[in-house]
Amino acid sequence: MRVGLFIPCYIDQLYPQVGVATLQLLEKLGCEVVYPPDQTCCGQPMANSGFEHLTGGCNELFIKNFEDFDYIVAPSGSCVLHIKEHLHGDTGIPKKIFELVEFLTDILKIEHLEATFPHKVGLHQSCHGQRGLHLAQMSELMAAPFSKLERLLSMVRGLELIGLDRVDECCGFGGTFCVAEEAVSVKMGKDRCADHIKHGAEFITASDMSCLMHLEGILRRANSNVRVKHIAEILNSNDTA
Amino acid sequence: MTQHKDHAALAAAFNKDEPRVDWHDQTLWWVRRKRDIAASKVPDWEALRETASGIKDNVLSNLSQYLARFEQESIANGVKVHWASDATEHNEIVYSILHRHGIEKMVKSKSMLTEECHLNEFLDEKGIEVVDTDLGERVVQLAGEPPSHIVLPCIHKKKEEIGEIFHQHLGTPKGNADPKFLTHAAREHLREKFLTRRAALTGINFAVAATGEFVVCTNEGNADMGAHLADVHIACMGIEKLIPERKHLGVFLRLLTRSATGQPITTYSSHFRRPRPGQEMHVVLVDNGRSAHLGRTDFRNSLKCIRCAACFNTCPVYRRSGGHSYHTAVAGPIGSILSPNFDMKKNGDLPFASTLCGSCSNVCPVKIDIHQQLYKWRQVIVQEGYAPLAKKAAMRTMNWVLSKPGVYHTAGKTGRWFMLNVPFTVNNGLNAWYRQREMPEPPGQSFGEWYKKNKHEQQG
Amino acid sequence: MSSRDKILATVTKNQPEGRDLPALPAASAAGGDHAAVFMSTLEAIGGAVYVVSGFDRIATILKEKFPDARRIINGVTETPADIGDPHTLENVDLAILPAHFGVAENGACWITEKQMVQRALPFITQHLVLVLPKSAIVADMHAAYERIDAGDPYGFATFIAGPSKTADIEQSLVLGAHGPASLTVFLLDGQQSDAGYY
Repeated sequence: MRVGLFIPCYIDQLYPQVGVATLQLLEKLGCEVVYPPDQTCCGQPMANSGFEHLTGGCNELFIKNFEDFDYIVAPSGSCVLHIKEHLHGDTGIPKKIFELVEFLTDILKIEHLEATFPHKVGLHQSCHGQRGLHLAQMSELMAAPFSKLERLLSMVRGLELIGLDRVDECCGFGGTFCVAEEAVSVKMGKDRCADHIKHGAEFITASDMSCLMHLEGILRRANSNVRVKHIAEILNSNDTA
Repeated sequence: MTQHKDHAALAAAFNKDEPRVDWHDQTLWWVRRKRDIAASKVPDWEALRETASGIKDNVLSNLSQYLARFEQESIANGVKVHWASDATEHNEIVYSILHRHGIEKMVKSKSMLTEECHLNEFLDEKGIEVVDTDLGERVVQLAGEPPSHIVLPCIHKKKEEIGEIFHQHLGTPKGNADPKFLTHAAREHLREKFLTRRAALTGINFAVAATGEFVVCTNEGNADMGAHLADVHIACMGIEKLIPERKHLGVFLRLLTRSATGQPITTYSSHFRRPRPGQEMHVVLVDNGRSAHLGRTDFRNSLKCIRCAACFNTCPVYRRSGGHSYHTAVAGPIGSILSPNFDMKKNGDLPFASTLCGSCSNVCPVKIDIHQQLYKWRQVIVQEGYAPLAKKAAMRTMNWVLSKPGVYHTAGKTGRWFMLNVPFTVNNGLNAWYRQREMPEPPGQSFGEWYKKNKHEQQG
Repeated sequence: MSSRDKILATVTKNQPEGRDLPALPAASAAGGDHAAVFMSTLEAIGGAVYVVSGFDRIATILKEKFPDARRIINGVTETPADIGDPHTLENVDLAILPAHFGVAENGACWITEKQMVQRALPFITQHLVLVLPKSAIVADMHAAYERIDAGDPYGFATFIAGPSKTADIEQSLVLGAHGPASLTVFLLDGQQSDAGYY
């Protein structure tokens, strides 16, 4: 199968290692992966700010770059959800674009992984992945629990998943919310970090790097030893330390 | 009206006292947890939400017929029915009823509609004293503040502060902040009001089109104490509060309080159908923008709201910004999608006071797509010209860069340029990010650069 | 154009295409141990509940529970005199009233105007006692409304679930907000529940 790799702009620019891990992981699992070099952004930052009408350029570019693939995979639930819900035009893209975790779970249907990460890890449920793409059951719903993320993390040797007081509270990133509502955004992030720290996390992971960028900024400001790692990096890890 | 500060500024002020924010957050999270436990005890909770949503869809699509039927049945029951196009007309109707009876003092139980219409201020100017009888509402009334939460009006107040308010206004001993003591003091204080007021105003939770009856839910019993002792009972409702038949109450009463506070039902769910002998009963049906809202396809289903406030309690932003930061009668996520309808300029900031996490839509007992509507309101507010000019210019620039791969890739030094220009810091600059957070460390190369180099080498 | 006509015209213009009403969940059938669920639910929300064999037993329990009650209105075994002005009820310590039925899922009792002596009485009394047959407990609110729809019309009726309460001050639960500080429910068991008091 031919997979188009969609690396959201902020991962491309700030967290290239997440893109590398995603690529390597998919290749390890037998996918033919191509990264169209002319990609930029899904348009979400503008759309969520009320400027969806300006996103035509991003929209066209996205279609041009990705139309011809069997699947499109991105290590970001938020960007994938945006494309699924708001990509204009009559294309097959919304049906064939997948966030990495759902692609591994629902399309590749992987049952085991060659990965080692001997650390205590706290899982942050990124809202768009969880509530938008249903990567995990939501604590508000009276329905059977499941978590595609936890299932994958449980395949990683040595990884110990910690519990949390609030299993799926938003971190407060929220796109432009993080600066437009700086006070609340930071407070939400601090509270999320505190929950992970209280339960002994060495690492916080998530399926969205944007949440982790926000949490990392808060952790580093507080000189915390706790680090963030995108789930792609952990699933691709061979850390035997 | 004076220009108010926006949600972000008011929330920032609220966040100056971090322990208080923690206390507020934890108190409301506790209510959310109680809701979860109560909902989990109902088999087929999710199906019940679906049913409630379906009933409300039917109500909105037949609202004119249901309103006409309700009016007809109510009149047949001996109730006087009034129609108010807007807040002013509502206030004048209430005043005219009181004036006709020569009544200058009234008790009132909780009605968010009268908050929306600013009835108390209106009557105060006419020389009519209104005593709010819900304990939480009485607290904020004595404090000279609006409620901060539609179900728990004084949830932002600490018991010590309430003790001080009661000390000043009710003469309780200074320093006594025991909730039981304070509640009993309020009971005595308000009992005298109930016994001496000839008019009582109540809200309406549900009105039944087929029977002309209306239902008022309270835990304290204050609506009943007021209504059954008064010569004149005035009940005010938004036109969207109708339901078709009495049996539909079964669905809504199962959902309402479990969603609101985690109780299986309120202590009192009172069904008013006819005035008691010698009493006058009035119902005021209020539009105030609702009929226009009904015409907004993307937003009309916010009119399904039953005012449980579950979306408040689950909202991580509400819990950490406080109800007053929403500067409207109905705060929280539902307020943020209802209020722009009343005044887009004044309330255009509210749809942005959300991370779009989506928890609100999941707890909503009538399945309003709250977070989707927040997103859609953002588009409307920008399209209708209520976005700041600087933001517009920044968004255009960002779009220009992101639409052109060549510009994007050469726009500047990797990472650093990005943080300065796109996408999260646009219009607010870096200070808002950096004030309390470190910036990501710019990597040596972008993923695109790495890919070009490594894949190129690999293949070459 | 009157406000009424204006509102109705705008609503008619703006309301969406007709949507059918959904089917309601089936009312849970009678039978099962609804009384046991009712009792534990009511206790959890601050009510007291007793299963008793007859009115003598109720009288005994009430004497123990409310030894200081001075003004008592008993609408169960007596026919109280007409109360003209509800304000005269302000000094009632104890009201003993029949109720039609109880609801297991939420501990509520359905009481209509004709059972209340005066509408204000169940609210203004310091303590409230409700009496109903143990067999008259329905499972849920759907069953409750089936029963209400089959019953006599009323001018006023209410579900009462526990004592009057508030948690407005820092979510601390306090019983006895404006209405009764306590609710006691007696479930009449066996033959005597058919004693014809209502």
